[in-house]
Amino acid sequence: MAENRPATRLEPKGAMGLDVEMDRAEHTLRRRLPRKLPKRNNDVYINMKTDFKAQLARCRKLLEGGGFNEICIHGLGLAINRAINVALQLQANSFGTLQIAANTSTVELVDDLEAEVDDEEPASRTRNNSAIHIKVYHSFSK
Amino acid sequence: MENFRKVKTCEEEGPLPFPGLPAGVVHMKVKEGSKIRNLMAFATARMEARATRQIVFSGCGRAVTKTVTCVEIMKRKLGGLHQLSKVQYRTLQEVWQKQGHAEQLTVDKYVPSICILLSKDSLDPGEPGYQPPEPRDRLWTLDGGLQDQRASLLPPQTEKRFWEPPGQERVNKKMKVQESPVDYRA
Repeated sequence: MAENRPATRLEPKGAMGLDVEMDRAEHTLRRRLPRKLPKRNNDVYINMKTDFKAQLARCRKLLEGGGFNEICIHGLGLAINRAINVALQLQANSFGTLQIAANTSTVELVDDLEAEVDDEEPASRTRNNSAIHIKVYHSFSK
Repeated sequence: MENFRKVKTCEEEGPLPFPGLPAGVVHMKVKEGSKIRNLMAFATARMEARATRQIVFSGCGRAVTKTVTCVEIMKRKLGGLHQLSKVQYRTLQEVWQKQGHAEQLTVDKYVPSICILLSKDSLDPGEPGYQPPEPRDRLWTLDGGLQDQRASLLPPQTEKRFWEPPGQERVNKKMKVQESPVDYRA
């Protein structure tokens, strides 16, 4: 299972939240969090754990009460779908004042394989996942 | 609703959201069960031909992620592709039938869909959803938003243009830059 490939690690800042309870197996696969992301006040990251309505309300609040002319909605992997949905919902409820511009990218993710048996070496693997970045902005601002 | 069964779903075929595309453009309709290797084998074979200038990938619902992945693979493989992404709702018509009855119920379902145009020739950079070919993961850097980076990265010149730039705008910008230091000295 574990290939002894040279560890291709990203910057150490990506390694966060690794204190999860281990289970008894040859290796434990731990997914690191995606590497450092832009977090301005008008960036919204969509995930699949938070309630959809809450995420939509948050975006709406930023655009209406927050005084932002544009927000950036990001979605990674499975959350791409939901990110698009949030953006389209915002646009549909804006009576034509909001515009959207979508961009796609690839994000490199790192998985750590931690040895549970003594003489196995820990390794890490990288894989790619798709992401979407949707800019939602008032059409008069551009 | 328990006694109803879905009889069929049909996807509404709309025109592509990219005006001015040539008629014979390669259109990859990505479905939920499509295999990426099948899609990519066909698409890369077509794109390697010199005559193919554009390709469109589209998918809706659960196929959206797969569509984006295909596009990302294609960009990495070929390089130098201009991208235009459009997201929209697509209507799915579902026909439900009650068991043992003839009556049918038609439901319109709106699912998010994505259409991505990849072009070897340059496209209009002002269009919402445009991405130049060069910076692949610059979108994720901390400083500067999406927009600031895009402004500094004009697409490189290519031999043929799918979109004609409006006249001498670019030349004028350059001239202004050259002129300004002269003004300061005087």
